Amino acid sequence: MENSKRRFLKGTCALLAGASGASLLATVNASGSVKAEPDVKYALIHDETKCIGCRACEVACREVNNVPEGVTRLEIKQAGPFGEYPNQFYHFSRKSCQHCEDAPCVNVCPTGAAFIDKQTGIVSVDAWKCVGCQYCIAACPYQVRFINPVTRAADKCDFCRETNLAQGKQPACVAICPTKALVFGNLKDPTSEVVQVLRSNPTQRAKVDLGTRPKLFRIVAKSGEVTL
Amino acid sequence: MSALHFDTLVWHWPIAIYLFLAGVSAGAMFFAVLLKHFVLKHNAYQSGFVQAACIVAPVAVMAGLGILVLDLTKPFDFWKILVFYNPTSVMSMGVLILLIYQVFMFMWIGITFRKPVDAWCEKRFPIVLKLTALLARFEASTTGLLVIFSLALGAYTGFLLSALPGYPMLKNPVLPLLFLASGLSSGAASALLGGVLLKGSPNGKEVHFIHKVEIPLILVEIVLIFTFFMGLVLTGGQSKIAAFNAIGYGFWGWVFWIGIVGLGLSGPLAMNLFMTATSKRKWAYVAGTACISLIGVLLLRNFILYTGQMTIA
Repeated sequence: MENSKRRFLKGTCALLAGASGASLLATVNASGSVKAEPDVKYALIHDETKCIGCRACEVACREVNNVPEGVTRLEIKQAGPFGEYPNQFYHFSRKSCQHCEDAPCVNVCPTGAAFIDKQTGIVSVDAWKCVGCQYCIAACPYQVRFINPVTRAADKCDFCRETNLAQGKQPACVAICPTKALVFGNLKDPTSEVVQVLRSNPTQRAKVDLGTRPKLFRIVAKSGEVTL
Repeated sequence: MSALHFDTLVWHWPIAIYLFLAGVSAGAMFFAVLLKHFVLKHNAYQSGFVQAACIVAPVAVMAGLGILVLDLTKPFDFWKILVFYNPTSVMSMGVLILLIYQVFMFMWIGITFRKPVDAWCEKRFPIVLKLTALLARFEASTTGLLVIFSLALGAYTGFLLSALPGYPMLKNPVLPLLFLASGLSSGAASALLGGVLLKGSPNGKEVHFIHKVEIPLILVEIVLIFTFFMGLVLTGGQSKIAAFNAIGYGFWGWVFWIGIVGLGLSGPLAMNLFMTATSKRKWAYVAGTACISLIGVLLLRNFILYTGQMTIA
């Protein structure tokens, strides 16, 4: 009995040592191969003071990215009307992927189908790798993920990474916006419009207390109601 | 808002069944090991309770995995989970734990039932005797690792849900401990129920032993449930709202107070204390207690899964 106990302890220790050694080796290898910080990190600003709620962005996104009917990568939420005629107004806010720096969907994905593109900082989905466990949909605090009924894979906004962006164009929603309420650009470039707008305007991000560090900013329009 | 269909619901009841079955399997194996080492020693294979546990554990874990695969949107692509791993994903690590757990589970069953297996294979497949002899050499290591992996599997069912930051009720450090404790007690209940069905004596020393372990286990569960909801209430904000949405008025409030606190925890606790105090362990008492205990755990899994998704951060 004593002997088998000792053998068990020895075996377990060896296993643990081997496992920690292997993981250590993996980290060393990884740190050796890390290149300099990528010089592109895309972000988006939704200026709610300019948004008129025309939903051209929703339509353009659907067309460019082949998003089937019944699901959407982007939604303009409407609240209101507020105030008395003739000073009435609606409040529009954008619901879409926030491209978190510390993305819960990427952390929970069992196969690595949800990933952050190292070159651009865009949170993306590899539809082939996705098995449809829907863990990412449950994990996303912003409820922006859905199952694409055609590919049966999880889907969401990827800043048109595979469509417009790959062709050197602005994302579809940004390009179509008639009031220029959407500003898209590189956070690492101090001369980019997105950085200029962020420097000169107070902005908000959703649910920052969850530690997700989202990259979708909003310039908040006057609100119609007081919420506590 | 309906109790079973609402906007923020992503995972529905098959996941709760899967979590329940994984817990039953882990608990059954855990108690089988305890019974063998503290009560039965080398005659473990003759006990109906150990036999039941060794049938329940593989069937439950495989049925659970089957449900999980069928619940994918691409069931035929499930092999990708086995090929691609993500070290930050609780689900991915859980798959790893499940696979290793099953290996040690079958090894331990092989070792425990060596005598009848050897007797049956002696004439027909003499090669199997060499295999069982080899397995028996690693009995201590297999047993130790099986205990570790069964506990890991039990806790994993909780970590799977507590890794969801969007749901304040699920993002709770007590949840894995609660699911581990209730998983172990469901395993004990399934061993008892299967044991008496397999003609195990309801007054046998196995039942005495399991009851002795189960009473403190249920008390720990009650403490954990209390801590779970106290923690949510004291955290405030959406966590507090989530707690009151779950255990307040409504369908799930009834499930919690009547089904889980009443039937699933107080019932078995009272029956176990009664059976220990009076030494009256009849077939119906043991089987009935095991049944309400199992129902309680199944309700707890569904209750946590559904109410957890009702309130978002």
